[in-house]
Amino acid sequence: MIALLRYLIGNARLAGGLLLLGGLIAFSAIGLVVYDTELAYPLSAPIAREPSAAHPFGTDASGRDLLAVMIAGTLLTMKVGLIAGALGVGIGAVLGFVAATYGGWVDRIISGTVDVLLTVPGLLVLIVLASSIPGDLDTTDMALVIAALAWREPARQIRAQALVLREANYIRMSRLSGAGNLSVIFADMMPNLLPYLGASLVAAVSGAVLSSVGLEALGLGSRSEPTLGMTIYWMMLEGAFIRGLWWWVLEPIVVLVVLFVGLYLLSSGLDEFANPRLRTAS
Amino acid sequence: MADVLQVHDLSVDYQLATGAVHAARNVSFTIAAGERVGFVGESGSGKTTVALALLGMLRHPGRVVGGSAQLEGTELIGLPRAAHAQLRLSRIAYVPQGAMNSLNPVQTVRRSIADGLADHGQPLAGTTLTERVALLLQQVGLTPEVADRFPHELSGGMKQRVCIAIAISLSPRLILADEPTSALDVVTQRQVMETFGDIRARLGSALMLIGHDFGLMAQTVDRLVVMKDGRIVETGEVRDVLRRPEHPYTRDLIASVPTLGERRSGGTLASTDERSPVIHLAGAGRTYGAGLRRPGVMALRPLDLALGGEPRILSVVGQSGSGKTTLGDIVLGFVDPTAGAALYRGQPIASLRGAARQAYRRDVQAVFQDPYSAFNPFYRVDRALAQPLLKLGIVRTRSEATARMQAACAEVGLDPDRVLGRFAHQLSGGQRQRLMVARALMLRPRVLVADEPVSMVDASLRFAILDALRTLRDRHDVTVLYVTHDLATAYRVSDHVMVLHSGAVVEEGTAEAVLREPAHAYTQLLVDSIPWPDPDRAWGGSALRSDNGSSPQTKTGR
Amino acid sequence: MILSRLLRRLPMLLAVVVTAATLNFALPKLAPKNPVETKLLEMAEQGGSLTDISGLIRSYEERFGLDQPVIVQYFSYLKGLATFDLGYSLAFYPTRVADLILKALPWTIGLLLTSTLIAFVIGLLFGALIAWNRAPRLARVIAPGVMALAALPYYLLGLALTYVFAFIWQIFPLGGGYSLMALPSWSWAFALDVFYHSLLPALSIVLASIGTWALTTRGLMVTVQGEDYMVYAEANGLSERRRFLHYGLRNVMLPQVTALALHLGHIAAGAVLVERVFNYPGVGMLLFRAIEQSDYFVIYGVVYIVVLMIAIAMLIVDLIYPLLDPRIRAEARQ
Repeated sequence: MIALLRYLIGNARLAGGLLLLGGLIAFSAIGLVVYDTELAYPLSAPIAREPSAAHPFGTDASGRDLLAVMIAGTLLTMKVGLIAGALGVGIGAVLGFVAATYGGWVDRIISGTVDVLLTVPGLLVLIVLASSIPGDLDTTDMALVIAALAWREPARQIRAQALVLREANYIRMSRLSGAGNLSVIFADMMPNLLPYLGASLVAAVSGAVLSSVGLEALGLGSRSEPTLGMTIYWMMLEGAFIRGLWWWVLEPIVVLVVLFVGLYLLSSGLDEFANPRLRTAS
Repeated sequence: MADVLQVHDLSVDYQLATGAVHAARNVSFTIAAGERVGFVGESGSGKTTVALALLGMLRHPGRVVGGSAQLEGTELIGLPRAAHAQLRLSRIAYVPQGAMNSLNPVQTVRRSIADGLADHGQPLAGTTLTERVALLLQQVGLTPEVADRFPHELSGGMKQRVCIAIAISLSPRLILADEPTSALDVVTQRQVMETFGDIRARLGSALMLIGHDFGLMAQTVDRLVVMKDGRIVETGEVRDVLRRPEHPYTRDLIASVPTLGERRSGGTLASTDERSPVIHLAGAGRTYGAGLRRPGVMALRPLDLALGGEPRILSVVGQSGSGKTTLGDIVLGFVDPTAGAALYRGQPIASLRGAARQAYRRDVQAVFQDPYSAFNPFYRVDRALAQPLLKLGIVRTRSEATARMQAACAEVGLDPDRVLGRFAHQLSGGQRQRLMVARALMLRPRVLVADEPVSMVDASLRFAILDALRTLRDRHDVTVLYVTHDLATAYRVSDHVMVLHSGAVVEEGTAEAVLREPAHAYTQLLVDSIPWPDPDRAWGGSALRSDNGSSPQTKTGR
Repeated sequence: MILSRLLRRLPMLLAVVVTAATLNFALPKLAPKNPVETKLLEMAEQGGSLTDISGLIRSYEERFGLDQPVIVQYFSYLKGLATFDLGYSLAFYPTRVADLILKALPWTIGLLLTSTLIAFVIGLLFGALIAWNRAPRLARVIAPGVMALAALPYYLLGLALTYVFAFIWQIFPLGGGYSLMALPSWSWAFALDVFYHSLLPALSIVLASIGTWALTTRGLMVTVQGEDYMVYAEANGLSERRRFLHYGLRNVMLPQVTALALHLGHIAAGAVLVERVFNYPGVGMLLFRAIEQSDYFVIYGVVYIVVLMIAIAMLIVDLIYPLLDPRIRAEARQ
């Protein structure tokens, strides 16, 4: 525990990221318990009110209580990020390991596909995908849509890491000791890549949150759920700037900045944690 | 003769959180004009620290804590940054260790030389520059057209000579060379050191040569300074130090230099009955990167080789790029031959499945160069030893495996209680490599591929590990394929020697025949290029191939 | 030399463009209900100008040859794209999609090209400077702030800037490409008006991407400083200025130019949302309107053209690269 604290003092980015995200999670978890999040839906409060005792964060033009929206929206946005990020890293890890271990034409097909798909701008493909699906996309659908492309980066990175590891002497030793491909992947490579997998999971979650908020801000998200991205969409659509509803503009921006900066700090802090180990391992 | 450099009581500390490390303590020495002085010692002895202090390039947390160093009357210690930078190159020039990557990859040799001149008050251009560069290149034995080449278009030896050309561009009084040939093969090493000799004869610059190889020192310097743990333990004329070393540390260092002089007698072979070979390479060769229209690079030309019949130690000797590692990898089944076949008991290695593959793994094992990376950092070292016993069905139970491991450790002189149950990073380099040898002993393979097993362990341990290879042959009937660049150790341990050059076998025969009386010119060149730790023995006799840039260069690994 | 490099890179970029086209073709077909047909049906039901609608449906069926096998449809679709026949807008029939895009494209290219290049140059210099051993104190102090900007998507920064500069201080317009009153013309006054309107959107892209470039450059510069040639340059007493510019930055530039090519897609996608925030009349705004109106042909057309532009830009970067790296130059000669 003390060692952990000492490490966090040395790795300021990791500490900062944990602090920001921890604060945000605490805000929404406590809010969920003490505040009525049903108020996050339209017509549950007076329209376009400044922050007051009854509605501490004010209300929007459709009568949503913005404190309830921030509480529920943070959780929904994190949910999308976690589902899509976990799926992305899961699929990516399998593809990356398979490509690196089997090599040959298997590798050529996998890495060729990843290279082409990485060059295609992800958000644009997601726009085509999301707009082609008829009806309202709820947050789970949104997570699946984003997961459809979220595996590209993890697959590429994990393949590269596994390729370096494959040439490590201890992998060769393990093969000499009679280990097969599966044993090499799971018993020899995986444990050494765990910190790295953790770092790439956070990076994938961060990317998924970025994509989901972007898609929602374009109006491609759920119209019945109060996510952070949809709040931006409604705010822009209904001209909060022109109508002078400053709180409606400011609040989602602040929450999103905290979320993005927190995820970014956590991700780069974890990279710092994951990489020295890899250097000694290879 | 006047002294170029006078160092008095120089001390350098590295201030760490856990306390100060005394990297150099009360170091005092002088270098006379035109004198060549060698600094020897193992890594961490402080020789590089002293050099950095003289150059004013100690990095935080390193700091000079006392003493003085005068370069022809100029005090170097405490000199302001800018003044020290002006002094470098113009009066004290540096030749780096890693010449392979020391030149800016995006600029030509001409530009690299011009940069040094320009920042020391000689901004030359046009024909003045071209003439100056041509003159400098000629002085280090390179042709003028080298000036327009980029670093990646030069061989390692040529790059090192470009660095020497830069070092002499302002005719410094002292040249400081830090292991300038450690990345080069023996043949190129000799050429580069001869260039240093020429330069001194022409310019009269003094040379401070840092290194660890007594052979190289004996051939190139006048005086030796031996360092250990930041102190000078012995200093004197090179002949005196080599003939009559006074300090026990110096004696140990000199004793651990392998030469072609001594050789253990053949030893008795435990079994002489006729056995069929385990591994048979039938015209096996390997080509890399061949495509539809490209022929590819021939890493190993097709060759025939049988291993695992009569136990013996076969050395495969060659410089980097000779194909020796590819040969080892084919035997181990890591690389498939693109020509001919690699057979295990008559079956192609790549086609082995199930029980046959298990049997192959039991019979063919390896010891690698780097003993640290051979252990998975995630597990305790036990796993590396127990895994093959269990996976290959040699033992049934864990307790049986533990018993075998303990016995094997004892056999290589390790206390099982002190090494087993630990992680690799908790052991010393020597302990790790001995564990790897213990692993080989325990498995009793028929064929053991030992790829440079001693090039990364301390000099003092080398002979113990080489002797273990002989034990394997004598007591356990193992055939050892000893892969190395070092002719002297090959001579010391092996029965047979095979010399590889550019993927082809140039000479093959008993160790005595090949290394004492080499028949092939290339082997002759290799043998002649070995620096002997004896200043009275001439370095080489045969004519050197010139590597001056006019000959078509061989393609490097990039 | 340039030709051989071109020939080597072309297949990859062609694959990217064909992939984007294929996704455009396949995704609506894979959806449970074909969104295009649904939309057409909806429009037909709503009535409006019936004659137009039937013309639209006819052109839709013709274009895709809906009675043909899928594979034939696919190739005739690709052929259409190759000749920039992107079909008609559903919302503004009979306006052609290609014409809508052509009108919006100059706005986007102008905004993106200038802001990306400015951010790249500043980001590289700044990142290299803060990694340098003896960096100016000011650079070190503002570094964490600049780095944090890398975490933010452009549009979020755009919203924040709008809030401060256009909403509170009101020194910049809230949005648009030019003033409502201004008439597009080739005059100084109009050019100035356009420039004035482009400042905030450009600033949000520049600020957010400076952080990204500075961050990666810093990492690379730290690595480069450990290279033998940097230590050797110092041991030769070369000036600090020369070591920073000609030895450090010059070598860091190489991987960063490659990274620029790979980032173009990311930058373009980010710009779409920036244009939405600022109501900027480029392809991003066109795309947003099309999404609002379920104008599928415009969506697919914009995505296809943006991917095509990125592929072309990558090709250009790729052809410039050998001029910077002698090693690639030599490789191409062989």
